[in-house]
Amino acid sequence: MTVPEKDAAALLEMRGIVKEFPGVRALDGVDLDVRVGEVHCLLGQNGAGKSTLIKVLAGAHRPDEGEIWWEGEKVDLSSPTAAIKQGIATIYQELDLVDGLTVAENIYLGHELSRGGLLRASEARRKAQAILERLGHGEIRVGQEVGKLSPAGKQIVSMARALSRDARLIVMDEPSAVLDQEEVGNLFRVIAELTRDGVAVVYISHRLQEVKEIGDRVTVLKDGSTVSTGLDAKSTSTADLIHLMTGRSIEYVFPDRRPPAPGAPVVLEVDGLALDGTFHDVAFEVRAGQIVGLAGLVGAGRSEILETVYGARKASAGSVRVDGKRLRPGSVHTAVAAGIGLAPEERKSQGLLLDHAVYRNISVSSMTRFARAGFLGSKQERIAAAEITRSLDVRPAGVDQAVRTLSGGNQQKVVLARWLMRHCRVLLLDEPTRGVDVGARSEIYALVRSLADQGVAVVVVSSEVEEVLGLADQVLVVREGEIVHRGPAQEITEHQVLDLVMAGSAA
Amino acid sequence: MNSNSTPAQVSDPVGSKETPPQTSPEDNRRDHWALRLLTASSAGRNLGLVLAFGLLCLVGYATAPERFIDVDNFMTILRLASVIGVVSIGMTFVITGGGIDLSVGAILALSSVWATTLATQTLADDTHWIVMVSTALLVGAGCGLVNGLLVAYGKVVPFIATLAMLASARGLAEILSDRRTQIITAQGFADFFRADVVGVPVLVIMFALVAIAGWVLLNRTTFGRRTFAVGGNIEAARLAGINVHRHTVMLYVLVGVCCGIAAIMLMARTTTGSSTHGTLYELDAIAAVVIGGTLLSGGRGTIGGTVLGVLIFTTLSNVFTMNNLSISAQAVAKGVIIVIAVLLQQRFANRSSSP
Amino acid sequence: MSDRTLPLRRRLLMSTAAMLTIGVVAAGCTSNTPEAVNDETSGNQNAASGSNDETGETVTIGFSAPAADHGWMAQITAAAKAEAEKFEDVELVVAEGTNDVSVQISQVETFINDQVDAIVLLPFDGAALTPVALKAMESGIPVINVDREFESPFAARATVLGDNYGMGVSAGTYICEQIGDNKDAVVAEIAGIDSLPLTQDRSQGFADALSDCGLDVDNRVAAEFTVESGERAASNLLQAAPQIDAIWNHDDDQGVGVMAAIENSGRDEFFVVGGAGSRNVMEAIQSGDSLIQATVVYPATQGADGIRLARLVAQDKALTDLVEVEVPRKIVLYAPVVTEENVEQFLPTAFQS
Repeated sequence: MTVPEKDAAALLEMRGIVKEFPGVRALDGVDLDVRVGEVHCLLGQNGAGKSTLIKVLAGAHRPDEGEIWWEGEKVDLSSPTAAIKQGIATIYQELDLVDGLTVAENIYLGHELSRGGLLRASEARRKAQAILERLGHGEIRVGQEVGKLSPAGKQIVSMARALSRDARLIVMDEPSAVLDQEEVGNLFRVIAELTRDGVAVVYISHRLQEVKEIGDRVTVLKDGSTVSTGLDAKSTSTADLIHLMTGRSIEYVFPDRRPPAPGAPVVLEVDGLALDGTFHDVAFEVRAGQIVGLAGLVGAGRSEILETVYGARKASAGSVRVDGKRLRPGSVHTAVAAGIGLAPEERKSQGLLLDHAVYRNISVSSMTRFARAGFLGSKQERIAAAEITRSLDVRPAGVDQAVRTLSGGNQQKVVLARWLMRHCRVLLLDEPTRGVDVGARSEIYALVRSLADQGVAVVVVSSEVEEVLGLADQVLVVREGEIVHRGPAQEITEHQVLDLVMAGSAA
Repeated sequence: MNSNSTPAQVSDPVGSKETPPQTSPEDNRRDHWALRLLTASSAGRNLGLVLAFGLLCLVGYATAPERFIDVDNFMTILRLASVIGVVSIGMTFVITGGGIDLSVGAILALSSVWATTLATQTLADDTHWIVMVSTALLVGAGCGLVNGLLVAYGKVVPFIATLAMLASARGLAEILSDRRTQIITAQGFADFFRADVVGVPVLVIMFALVAIAGWVLLNRTTFGRRTFAVGGNIEAARLAGINVHRHTVMLYVLVGVCCGIAAIMLMARTTTGSSTHGTLYELDAIAAVVIGGTLLSGGRGTIGGTVLGVLIFTTLSNVFTMNNLSISAQAVAKGVIIVIAVLLQQRFANRSSSP
Repeated sequence: MSDRTLPLRRRLLMSTAAMLTIGVVAAGCTSNTPEAVNDETSGNQNAASGSNDETGETVTIGFSAPAADHGWMAQITAAAKAEAEKFEDVELVVAEGTNDVSVQISQVETFINDQVDAIVLLPFDGAALTPVALKAMESGIPVINVDREFESPFAARATVLGDNYGMGVSAGTYICEQIGDNKDAVVAEIAGIDSLPLTQDRSQGFADALSDCGLDVDNRVAAEFTVESGERAASNLLQAAPQIDAIWNHDDDQGVGVMAAIENSGRDEFFVVGGAGSRNVMEAIQSGDSLIQATVVYPATQGADGIRLARLVAQDKALTDLVEVEVPRKIVLYAPVVTEENVEQFLPTAFQS
């Protein structure tokens, strides 16, 4: 690795950043350089490593390899405090404000103005007011409780906090996601002012239009590494950007499609399904042996649709039928009894009993089968679980170890094994390969396809368009709670899907 | 350790209980049933506790050899452990299931008072003391049901719901008894429960039966498995199709029934029902359960550990009385033991993996 | 299973039958001979026999005591009410028993506002009630302090106190008498809640009395005034001491549990002395076939004494058996030992545990 060239305007340089989590290489050699006073946009699909990268930048994660240079000096961002000291402020997607404290208290949280241990509250209020005015939001009262502000107001407070620390670099993680059009305009004006004062901004967004509007340069991440850096934001075409985001360096092996037999019965019927404030009028059907994929941005309502079908959320309208029989809304119990299984998005917090043995996680939904009058024959249970783990090639092979010790891919296999054991008729998969390392993905894909071949009706939700297109027979594109496209997977390209999900949401 | 094991007989789901003399290499990952019993149940993971208990007995032996090592004395320890023991076994379930029950002592008091009111006792004279027994059980189950419904369907935090039950059940017990000690007049009751069976008090036998039933229920039934699942990750359990609300209700009813049983046992021990019965039992029970190795946040629990925990506290008070030491010194020792047991527990728990 | 009225009615009957002032040496305002009270369970005759008891000007007395969460405390209020009923010239206002200090303070303030002629106060916390008692005294209303003493001597016109140290002395002296010359006798003590001063006083008195006759406490355990704790403490005690000659149990409420434990052990080589003086213990003494031979009384009639003193003070009368012109400032009650011989005298004033 060579010492980076001294660039007069260079503020931050990251070289070859690697960050590994158990089973996943989240960052695999990322480069990023940011100049003084520029808006540098960071693009990439979900799971490309953007969140991990900004956490490295904020000092929340320590990189396993790589170097960070700050104003020409090599630095070690060993903790959030160290990053803040250098002048790096991060505004997270989930705002880290304390609702019960006032605006001024939040702005100076962690670096309170004090003399001899006593708070200088009035000075803090005055200074906070000045910062808010600089941001063009003098109307926000500094004595107000933050919990009572609108999401946009909180965003401003968060930004004011970054400014109060005299930040040289502000990282904004999808700041426009919670803002309406007018507020986005305000935000851009503030960013323009900041950059004029020499503050650099790293801006993360899914809305390519925004990137064009305020960005100076663009870096694109994919699969944990930089595919392109220092692109000119204004002159690079949207098509090129999308191409950079989707083009694969690693080709996943998707199993061959075997379309369901023409006479295959419809297993799952969803009709007019709605959840207040999230999605409405969702209708689709899945036949035995068919895989239906739902594509869309995070927050478009994909996961909510799955969870509502499953009964984990109570539908406000519409119906779900399995084999023609209508399910009671809002009851997971009846959905499972009817033969639906869900592999949830948050596998660790929603899907698994992490400290429990593998076999217990597998049998949890079908343990009555091993019980006589309520008494469990744990021997049969282990044998049955062992058989399934063997057929799924779960590694390591024992069924008595805690699930926590398994890698992401093997954990996902355990979840699938659960529904395999139950012989479920409908399988709902929410982000089935999140946190699963590249090698294990193909195995999961093959497994899902083989389940379909055995007659299971499958619904897959994924942020990775390629995954939806590669795996599904039928694709539904969801945008802002609405199905905007439906058709066979072979008849639409990744590019077209991205256009559908992103273009529509541009401000 | 003899690690012989049954060959993986996938084709034979029942398998055989006998241990074949040969060990085949591919079976190494399947443990001997005895080893599994050790690790999956109490003794293995409770090595720290067993040590603490052994040490305590050693102190008892060293300081009062004849009086401590004495069948009568052991029976006294077991008899005194039996009431709080039954309560603690119920508490093990509710804590393993991710809850807590602060009202156990109050439910016990209410059950004992209700079962010993003049009406119940007179009825018992005419018919049978079974009326008193079933009254105590029904009152316990009823209070547990109220707790369970509040927690599962009313979405009241267990701490608060059972705190409310603590206050109101004891209050109701005071109203019913007029704060008087109600002495049991039905002779059949005392005859049955205060008796010995071949030298073992009926109370100790009841404790043993409840402990065995509790162990089987927790480790060998779907109910127990669901308890672990609900306590380990309630969201995952719900999404796996477990009816978590109904299960939560059943957990609180179970601990309520345990309180009813404990009330009967305490009535037998003291020949009375009183609104002061079971005072601070909730803390003793929680302490016993937690030093036993049950995770206060749920998902992991052991009946064997709980029984050991109860025995440690009861033996402690016995040893201290043997040596004529004050209650205050006993309280200090109790605190020290809780800390040491939990520290040892963590040491051993970290070494061996989870259930 | 839902019939709760029966036991209540039965108890009410018992508590109304128990109103005497015997055993209260200094408080006797008339003839203090046992005969005077022996023949009747009601104390009316007693009350009618002296000039002090002749009806005088009508006085209103306010009465406040803690909640009746203990048999003894329930008896305090019941006995006070019954005592007041004996006098045509006493109008008693009884405040609801409470363990909430602020509520009790406001009760006394109400009495002051209503300009009662005297207040009888058994404070939940003597220190906390001192200021309001001072206020009453300053506004000219005499306060009779019962059982738990105020911090200031100016807060009460007269004070009636039980004698916890004396209980220990009485119990110890009785055991000395019974055991005689056997210096090797094993004496055990089952105390109440160890952290309370009253328990410490009782134990001190017991130890002092025993040492007078060359004995000491060989085994001591503490319970918590509840049946269950009494049973637990006694069970362990019986295991710790294989041979016992005498046991003193501080409290007859926990004594129910103590006796259950003894019965369970099948031991009978010792005798037991109780404490406080509950009805069922006295009945056991009376029956003569129990291990309980005696109990030491901590009078539950001190509230009733308070009523009498309040009436005398309000009517400007004195204790006629004393030479003094005024009612004494402090009266410490005797802790008599109740045995089979004199149990008849004490049964009527015993409290129901």
